[in-house]
Amino acid sequence: MTAIATQLPARIDGLSNVRTATVLFCVAIALAFLKPVLPEWLVRLPDWMILPWAQWLQALFDFVREDLGLIYVTRTITAGLEFVLDATANIMYGKHRWPYLGPISWACVAGVSAILGYWLGGRRLALLAGGTWVWTAVIGQWDLAMQTMSVIVVAAPIAVAIGVGLGILAWRNRTIEKALRPVLAVLQTLPFFTYLLPAVIFFKVGPTAAAVATIIFAIPPMILMTTLGLKKVPPDVVEAGQMSGSTRWQMLRHVYLPAARTEILVGVNQVIMLCLAMVVLTAFIGMPGLGAKLLAMMGSFKLGRSFEIGVTIVLIAVMLDRLSKAWIVKQPVHFEKGTPWWQRHFFLLAGIAVFLLLALLAWIVPYFHEVGRRQDLSMGREIDDVIKWVLDVDWIQATTEWLRWFLNTKVLIPFRDSMLWLPTPSVIVLFAAVAYYVGGLRSALVIAAFFGIVALSGWWDRSMITLYTVISAVVLATLLGIPLAIFASRSEKWSGRILLACDTAQTFPSFIYLIPAIMLFGVNDVAVIFSILIFAMVPLTRYTIEGLRGVPVELTEAADMAGSTRKQKLWHVQLPLALPTMAVGFNQAIMFAFFMVIIAAFIGTQDLGQELQRTLAGNELGKNFVLGICVSVMALAFDHVIMRWVAGRKAALGLD
Amino acid sequence: MKTTLTRFATAAAVTAVIGMTTVGSAQAEDSGDPIIIPIHNWSSQIVMSNAVGQIFESLGRNVEYVTTDSQAVYESVRLGDVHLELEVWEGAFGKSFREALEKGGLHDAGDHDAVTREDWWYPMWTKESCPGLPSWEALNDCAELFATPETGDKGRYLDGPVDWLKHGKERAEALGLNFTVINAGSAAALWAEIGAAEKDKKPVLVFNWTPNFAEAVWPGEFVEFPEWEDGCDKDPAKGPNKDALYDCGNPAKGYLKKAAWDGMEDKWPQAYCVLTKISFTNPQIAEMAKLVDVDEQEPDEAAENWLADNEAVWKPWVEACAS
Amino acid sequence: MTDNQPVISCRNAWKIFGDDPELFYKNITADMSFEDMRQKGYIAGVRDVSVDVAKGEMLVIMGLSGSGKSTLVRCLSRLHDITAGTITVDGQDLGSLSERELIELRRSKMGMVFQSFGLLPHRTVLENVAFPLEMRGQDKHERRKRALEVIELVGLSGREDYFPRELSGGQQQRVGIARSLAIEPDIWFLDEPFSALDPLIRREMQDEFLRLQEMLGKTIVFITHDFDEALRLADRIAIMKDGAVEQCATPDQIVLNPATDYVAKFTEDIDKARVVHAGAIAKPVNGTAVSGEPISSKKTIQELARLLVDDDRDLIPVTSDNGKVVGNLDRVQALDILLR
Repeated sequence: MTAIATQLPARIDGLSNVRTATVLFCVAIALAFLKPVLPEWLVRLPDWMILPWAQWLQALFDFVREDLGLIYVTRTITAGLEFVLDATANIMYGKHRWPYLGPISWACVAGVSAILGYWLGGRRLALLAGGTWVWTAVIGQWDLAMQTMSVIVVAAPIAVAIGVGLGILAWRNRTIEKALRPVLAVLQTLPFFTYLLPAVIFFKVGPTAAAVATIIFAIPPMILMTTLGLKKVPPDVVEAGQMSGSTRWQMLRHVYLPAARTEILVGVNQVIMLCLAMVVLTAFIGMPGLGAKLLAMMGSFKLGRSFEIGVTIVLIAVMLDRLSKAWIVKQPVHFEKGTPWWQRHFFLLAGIAVFLLLALLAWIVPYFHEVGRRQDLSMGREIDDVIKWVLDVDWIQATTEWLRWFLNTKVLIPFRDSMLWLPTPSVIVLFAAVAYYVGGLRSALVIAAFFGIVALSGWWDRSMITLYTVISAVVLATLLGIPLAIFASRSEKWSGRILLACDTAQTFPSFIYLIPAIMLFGVNDVAVIFSILIFAMVPLTRYTIEGLRGVPVELTEAADMAGSTRKQKLWHVQLPLALPTMAVGFNQAIMFAFFMVIIAAFIGTQDLGQELQRTLAGNELGKNFVLGICVSVMALAFDHVIMRWVAGRKAALGLD
Repeated sequence: MKTTLTRFATAAAVTAVIGMTTVGSAQAEDSGDPIIIPIHNWSSQIVMSNAVGQIFESLGRNVEYVTTDSQAVYESVRLGDVHLELEVWEGAFGKSFREALEKGGLHDAGDHDAVTREDWWYPMWTKESCPGLPSWEALNDCAELFATPETGDKGRYLDGPVDWLKHGKERAEALGLNFTVINAGSAAALWAEIGAAEKDKKPVLVFNWTPNFAEAVWPGEFVEFPEWEDGCDKDPAKGPNKDALYDCGNPAKGYLKKAAWDGMEDKWPQAYCVLTKISFTNPQIAEMAKLVDVDEQEPDEAAENWLADNEAVWKPWVEACAS
Repeated sequence: MTDNQPVISCRNAWKIFGDDPELFYKNITADMSFEDMRQKGYIAGVRDVSVDVAKGEMLVIMGLSGSGKSTLVRCLSRLHDITAGTITVDGQDLGSLSERELIELRRSKMGMVFQSFGLLPHRTVLENVAFPLEMRGQDKHERRKRALEVIELVGLSGREDYFPRELSGGQQQRVGIARSLAIEPDIWFLDEPFSALDPLIRREMQDEFLRLQEMLGKTIVFITHDFDEALRLADRIAIMKDGAVEQCATPDQIVLNPATDYVAKFTEDIDKARVVHAGAIAKPVNGTAVSGEPISSKKTIQELARLLVDDDRDLIPVTSDNGKVVGNLDRVQALDILLR
């Protein structure tokens, strides 16, 4: 009885949603068709409505910086941070600073990593952990890698500490959680160019600014995972702690945090991955090492060496990812009574022994301390030639020529022009209609407000170009990624392979494929979309595979027993059930695309990214921020609508 | 060979004390704090920075390098986070430099001998299909040679990144060129475009500058536009088109400056003195870039080699400042 | 006097869940049903409950899921704050204790066992058991000694260094029991401790539990949804429905005289002979003749079955533990129960 009662209003609601959405949709179409007769102010906002946000923000920023003296606070923090960074820099690559111990021989690092890998995950991980460092040293990038790592080993723990701290606060206090949520959302969608300048000004160009930018970038998932983990601690465990007479602090320290271990470690894993994702971008503000070298190599058109650096970054990322994931699932195991001391601490002792042994070896054979110039096995030139040769193959060139012509003239340019042609209100109403259909009045208002901000910022046209690029790339990514994922999900073997390819594509510095993209397609939107496409396909493919493989076995078996063909099973059982998961992937693809579309300014675009790049020359922080917010709100608009849809869909399917 | 083992064997504190005293007593006059030199993502600047850093080190200074964005760096020099900048290109960084200059905190530390030129450029093979070059008047006749699917029948010119503040679009309009101007996003994008055109010897027209490594890899020429007149960017009357700005070529002899943080002179007077004396020529800069780009040396190695081969060039700068 | 004072005394306790329980409580009328409240968005977890638990007594709270029994025990341990009413423990008003005092009370007097064990996954058996001792700041050596004692008591010796996930469900609950006993509590709360276990293990654990209780003689509040379990263990049973106690009495009384239809439905299928003791149905002597061999008041009717059938007396004397005659058993009445 009650079930019917609660379901009925929902259905009526749904119907009226469709009706209102349809009305809104018709209004949007009407506005578009009426464009020739519309008054000027309905096509684009008149100039007087566009307030000088940039100047205001600039003034506010100057006030906070100088008059409130924020810069002195941040510079004090910088000094402390610099001390720590100098210390790690000394140990890892021998920067001339306290404690004057380093650098550690590469062989020692490789050896100890291998032992750690073995302890966490057996022989394969040992090989991966040791092998990565051996590769790095032998290819001649040891110093660079250590320069990079010296910042990451500081940034990642700080990000974890702050993230856990804020996560605890958000969990304890709903007000803080509510206040934090929009800040995190904006932080996660704000284009990278927007926090480049403030980082430099407040935290001093160099490893400090790089560390701060990395930390800010990496914190959000840590906060979210901490809060999630703490909320998920079983009530029995909590009550057991309380009944044991724990104080609040004891509860947190001995009950909550250890019980939320898994989620917190998942957060740590994400922090590490995000830190590595920033290696190249932060090179613009002083991150030393691999990223800076990569930029220099690209500046002089050395594809081979860039590629090698990319491989190193991927290897390090994959290694750290696998190690931290192994750590997540690693459970403590007891030792039988009477196990001798050395057996209980076998791996610790082995680590120390290997360290000392290799240190001795490095002392005798300098090669194991430092791979000298000209001793490395870099094959930069050879790889250069291979890449150039591949790009020169006739049929590849013919294909890309055709693609360039077809996509540009038949698809992209008409699409872009129509986006630019549409009157502003028409676009806003159109998106609001979609939002209404998915999430009702509230969603529609949120979306309208978001796009309203874009219109009021005065950067409407450029925003539309950004939007057009993102949509085109994501549509193409969907067309390519989903069939690929459906194919891969059919077998364990192929799922593994494609997922590994996804990991690689995600951590491979995006800069590296900007160059081949240009060489294939020239400086134009096809190259831009191609480079976004690679990035956007990753989450789409991954979530689709996971969604399809996550369909409960009983359901596929039921479908088999009902005599359905493979195709019927896919269309009627697997896809509908996997759809919410796939939509999450789709959402991430859009977020990634918004991230990458700004990076693609390095190819050459006419959108917000280009304008953001321009602000760097003039140190125009106010304008920079306005542009950043435009990107952010558009991304958040998509995020809102898709996640609403997912939530509704999941509820309907009874998942979660 | 000081290795890890020996280092770890020594008590950390002892090393620290020794380290401190040696640094502290080495120079009474200049500060022992490191001079921080910014490096960017093109070879000549990296090698030059390393070379100058090594000159400073030969004087007993501590030097550190930090990678930065080439536009945002002026804000950092101004704040004293980095202490100098060795390559201030008139065309590309003039605006950022001037703006920072106005805000105060950094100053002009003199010009290099080298002159810079930044303008429309084509690789040599382009000339075969458009023999009228390098005169700009030949461009319209060859426009369709440079056409691409997205530009239709107009020619395509790939300008430098927007933040370099080139005015390709304005010039094309002012001179009535039948060209669409597209901005590349980075230097790398320009090289990729040339690199892609190389095999089929496709004609391309891109933004380029000298001195840089590209000259050695792809021989080419600048397009000769109406000569630069002062005020061409401010006064429409200047240049052939009386109603438009930017109707001239860029100055064929732009400056290449050094910039220094205002506090540098007080903190490291000797090093500052050397900085003001430093002046590289075009061939020297090209040579440095070549060591890295063509000979595949590491920047610090290239700087070392260059200094070893060119003592006659840099020793006088140092001697002039010996107190 | 003090001996008669109940250890736990609960008077008109209410626990209401919802947006503003205090305000809602003020407007509650006597005729408002559980369902009425739910329509308004409030759930009455505990509704006007008054029960006492005497020293050394085992009170079993029985009810189906959602009846409020777990909520009630959480009110008694103040894991939940009650909305209205009073609960006193050893004469102290539980609601008025400060956080500090409450923690002190739990550290010295209360132990609790949970349905899904509530073990800390990152600690070994020993560390789990020693956890309450650690919380109250006992030194490491002492805590280890005491923990080993309790571990032995629950029969887990040799498993001290295992982690919870390395143990079976039954073993895990033994750890939970050991932990709750580590501080030597006076009051022992058990919230469906055996519900998550297999039937065979459950039986074994019940026996084990009875053995422990015989040894320790604690004041116990035991929650279960299993009526057989309740009958097996309880001194008194409180049957709950929709947050309210339907009947609180000894098993014999519940079986013989169910107070409401709801309770009657529970007792319907119960083999009463196995529950009812001779003492419970013995009638006062009141001058009637007492003759022949007496029977113990602790024996159930079923245990006396052969005797009841074979004996030809109408009234059989019943004696308590100390041999005193407490009354006469009406043989026909007893046979009725047996043969029903």
